[in-house]
Amino acid sequence: MLSLSVDSVYVHKVWNESELSKMVPGGVPFPMLSDPGGAIGREYNVYNEDTAVDLRGTFIIDPDGVIQGYQVLTSVVGRSTDEIIRQIHAFQIVRESKEKEFTPADWKPGMTVLKPAVELVGRVWEMWKPVRTRE
Amino acid sequence: MIKAGKPAPDFAAPAYYQGRFTHVELSRYREQWVVLYFYGGDYTFV
Repeated sequence: MLSLSVDSVYVHKVWNESELSKMVPGGVPFPMLSDPGGAIGREYNVYNEDTAVDLRGTFIIDPDGVIQGYQVLTSVVGRSTDEIIRQIHAFQIVRESKEKEFTPADWKPGMTVLKPAVELVGRVWEMWKPVRTRE
Repeated sequence: MIKAGKPAPDFAAPAYYQGRFTHVELSRYREQWVVLYFYGGDYTFV
Protein backbone atom coordinates (compact mmCIF):
# COMPACT_ATOMS: atom_id res chain seq x y z
CA MET A 1 0.00 0.00 0.00
CA LEU A 2 1.42 3.35 -1.09
CA SER A 3 -0.58 6.56 -0.65
CA LEU A 4 0.13 9.63 -2.78
CA SER A 5 -0.81 13.29 -2.68
CA VAL A 6 0.76 16.60 -3.68
CA ASP A 7 1.49 17.40 -0.01
CA SER A 8 5.09 17.44 1.22
CA VAL A 9 6.52 14.70 3.41
CA TYR A 10 6.56 17.25 6.25
CA VAL A 11 2.79 17.72 6.02
CA HIS A 12 2.37 13.92 5.83
CA LYS A 13 4.37 13.64 9.07
CA VAL A 14 2.31 16.25 10.91
CA TRP A 15 -1.00 14.83 9.62
CA ASN A 16 0.01 11.34 10.75
CA GLU A 17 1.10 12.55 14.17
CA SER A 18 -1.72 15.01 14.84
CA GLU A 19 -4.73 13.17 13.40
CA LEU A 20 -4.21 9.77 11.74
CA SER A 21 -2.44 8.23 14.74
CA LYS A 22 -5.63 8.96 16.70
CA MET A 23 -7.63 6.88 14.20
CA VAL A 24 -5.07 4.09 13.60
CA PRO A 25 -3.05 2.78 16.57
CA GLY A 26 0.63 3.34 15.82
CA GLY A 27 -0.14 5.64 12.91
CA VAL A 28 -0.19 4.95 9.17
CA PRO A 29 1.52 1.57 8.56
CA PHE A 30 2.52 2.24 4.92
CA PRO A 31 4.68 4.84 3.10
CA MET A 32 2.95 8.17 2.42
CA LEU A 33 4.41 9.47 -0.84
CA SER A 34 4.79 13.10 -1.85
CA ASP A 35 4.15 14.14 -5.45
CA PRO A 36 4.48 17.95 -5.50
CA GLY A 37 3.39 19.30 -8.88
CA GLY A 38 1.48 16.11 -9.64
CA ALA A 39 3.99 14.47 -12.03
CA ILE A 40 3.04 10.97 -10.89
CA GLY A 41 -0.65 11.89 -10.78
CA ARG A 42 -0.44 13.04 -14.40
CA GLU A 43 1.30 9.79 -15.37
CA TYR A 44 -1.64 7.88 -13.87
CA ASN A 45 -4.23 10.32 -15.26
CA VAL A 46 -5.65 11.27 -11.87
CA TYR A 47 -4.24 14.79 -11.56
CA ASN A 48 -6.84 17.57 -11.72
CA GLU A 49 -5.19 20.56 -13.44
CA ASP A 50 -7.96 22.95 -12.28
CA THR A 51 -7.57 22.25 -8.57
CA ALA A 52 -3.88 21.18 -8.72
CA VAL A 53 -4.56 18.08 -6.62
CA ASP A 54 -5.16 14.39 -7.33
CA LEU A 55 -8.54 12.70 -7.75
CA ARG A 56 -9.32 9.62 -5.65
CA GLY A 57 -7.48 7.12 -7.82
CA THR A 58 -6.89 3.51 -6.73
CA PHE A 59 -4.64 1.17 -8.74
CA ILE A 60 -4.09 -2.54 -8.09
CA ILE A 61 -0.69 -3.69 -9.38
CA ASP A 62 0.28 -7.38 -9.50
CA PRO A 63 3.70 -8.89 -8.64
CA ASP A 64 4.79 -8.54 -12.30
CA GLY A 65 4.14 -4.77 -12.17
CA VAL A 66 0.97 -5.01 -14.29
CA ILE A 67 -2.07 -2.86 -13.49
CA GLN A 68 -4.89 -5.34 -12.88
CA GLY A 69 -7.54 -2.74 -12.17
CA TYR A 70 -8.19 0.85 -11.24
CA GLN A 71 -10.94 3.18 -10.09
CA VAL A 72 -11.07 6.97 -10.10
CA LEU A 73 -13.59 9.03 -8.12
CA THR A 74 -13.93 12.80 -7.88
CA SER A 75 -13.23 14.41 -4.53
CA VAL A 76 -16.77 14.23 -3.14
CA VAL A 77 -17.16 10.49 -2.45
CA GLY A 78 -14.75 8.31 -0.47
CA ARG A 79 -13.72 4.79 -1.40
CA SER A 80 -14.66 1.36 -0.02
CA THR A 81 -11.59 -0.36 1.42
CA ASP A 82 -13.64 -3.58 1.68
CA GLU A 83 -14.14 -3.50 -2.09
CA ILE A 84 -10.45 -2.89 -2.76
CA ILE A 85 -9.51 -5.80 -0.49
CA ARG A 86 -12.15 -8.02 -2.17
CA GLN A 87 -10.67 -7.24 -5.57
CA ILE A 88 -7.12 -8.03 -4.41
CA HIS A 89 -8.28 -11.36 -2.90
CA ALA A 90 -9.99 -12.21 -6.19
CA PHE A 91 -6.96 -11.31 -8.32
CA GLN A 92 -4.71 -13.35 -6.00
CA ILE A 93 -6.94 -16.44 -6.28
CA VAL A 94 -7.02 -16.19 -10.06
CA ARG A 95 -3.24 -15.74 -10.18
CA GLU A 96 -2.60 -18.67 -7.81
CA SER A 97 -4.76 -20.88 -10.03
CA LYS A 98 -2.65 -19.79 -13.04
CA GLU A 99 -5.84 -18.28 -14.48
CA LYS A 100 -7.68 -21.63 -14.40
CA GLU A 101 -10.26 -20.17 -11.98
CA PHE A 102 -12.16 -16.93 -12.35
CA THR A 103 -14.31 -15.04 -9.86
CA PRO A 104 -17.74 -13.91 -11.07
CA ALA A 105 -19.81 -10.85 -10.12
CA ASP A 106 -20.26 -10.21 -6.38
CA TRP A 107 -17.82 -12.99 -5.53
CA LYS A 108 -16.42 -12.82 -2.00
CA PRO A 109 -13.63 -14.87 -0.35
CA GLY A 110 -14.93 -18.35 0.47
CA MET A 111 -17.45 -18.43 -2.36
CA THR A 112 -17.38 -20.71 -5.40
CA VAL A 113 -15.02 -19.82 -8.22
CA LEU A 114 -15.73 -20.63 -11.84
CA LYS A 115 -13.52 -22.84 -14.01
CA PRO A 116 -14.07 -21.77 -17.60
CA ALA A 117 -14.77 -24.77 -19.82
CA VAL A 118 -17.03 -25.66 -22.72
CA GLU A 119 -19.42 -27.35 -20.26
CA LEU A 120 -19.87 -24.06 -18.38
CA VAL A 121 -21.24 -22.19 -21.38
CA GLY A 122 -24.94 -21.55 -20.77
CA ARG A 123 -24.74 -23.16 -17.29
CA VAL A 124 -23.32 -20.30 -15.22
CA TRP A 125 -26.84 -19.85 -13.80
CA GLU A 126 -26.61 -23.35 -12.21
CA MET A 127 -23.12 -22.81 -10.79
CA TRP A 128 -23.42 -19.25 -9.57
CA LYS A 129 -26.33 -18.07 -7.45
CA PRO A 130 -25.17 -15.02 -5.56
CA VAL A 131 -27.26 -14.12 -2.52
CA ARG A 132 -28.40 -10.53 -2.36
CA THR A 133 -27.53 -9.14 1.03
CA ARG A 134 -28.62 -5.59 0.30
CA GLU A 135 -32.21 -4.33 0.25
CA MET B 1 -1.36 6.04 -20.92
CA ILE B 2 -2.90 3.95 -18.16
CA LYS B 3 -4.58 0.69 -19.14
CA ALA B 4 -5.72 -2.28 -17.10
CA GLY B 5 -3.62 -5.26 -18.16
CA LYS B 6 -0.62 -3.07 -19.05
CA PRO B 7 2.52 -2.33 -16.99
CA ALA B 8 2.23 0.36 -14.32
CA PRO B 9 4.42 3.41 -15.07
CA ASP B 10 7.44 3.35 -12.76
CA PHE B 11 8.18 6.32 -10.50
CA ALA B 12 10.27 7.41 -7.55
CA ALA B 13 9.10 9.77 -4.81
CA PRO B 14 10.04 11.05 -1.37
CA ALA B 15 7.92 9.51 1.37
CA TYR B 16 7.13 9.64 5.05
CA TYR B 17 7.14 6.19 6.64
CA GLN B 18 6.75 5.44 10.34
CA GLY B 19 8.64 8.41 11.72
CA ARG B 20 11.28 8.64 8.98
CA PHE B 21 11.70 10.43 5.68
CA THR B 22 12.57 7.96 2.95
CA HIS B 23 12.48 7.34 -0.78
CA VAL B 24 10.16 4.95 -2.60
CA GLU B 25 10.57 3.41 -6.07
CA LEU B 26 7.64 1.44 -7.47
CA SER B 27 10.03 -1.00 -9.19
CA ARG B 28 11.27 -2.16 -5.75
CA TYR B 29 7.82 -3.65 -5.12
CA ARG B 30 8.05 -6.35 -7.80
CA GLU B 31 6.99 -9.76 -6.47
CA GLN B 32 4.42 -8.02 -4.25
CA TRP B 33 0.88 -6.82 -4.75
CA VAL B 34 0.71 -3.03 -4.60
CA VAL B 35 -2.17 -0.61 -4.13
CA LEU B 36 -1.53 2.97 -5.25
CA TYR B 37 -3.90 5.25 -3.40
CA PHE B 38 -4.12 8.83 -4.71
CA TYR B 39 -6.09 11.45 -2.79
CA GLY B 40 -6.64 15.19 -2.90
CA GLY B 41 -4.83 16.34 0.19
CA ASP B 42 -3.79 15.73 3.77
CA TYR B 43 -6.39 16.64 6.41
CA THR B 44 -9.22 15.55 4.11
CA PHE B 45 -11.05 12.23 4.16
CA VAL B 46 -9.44 9.86 1.69
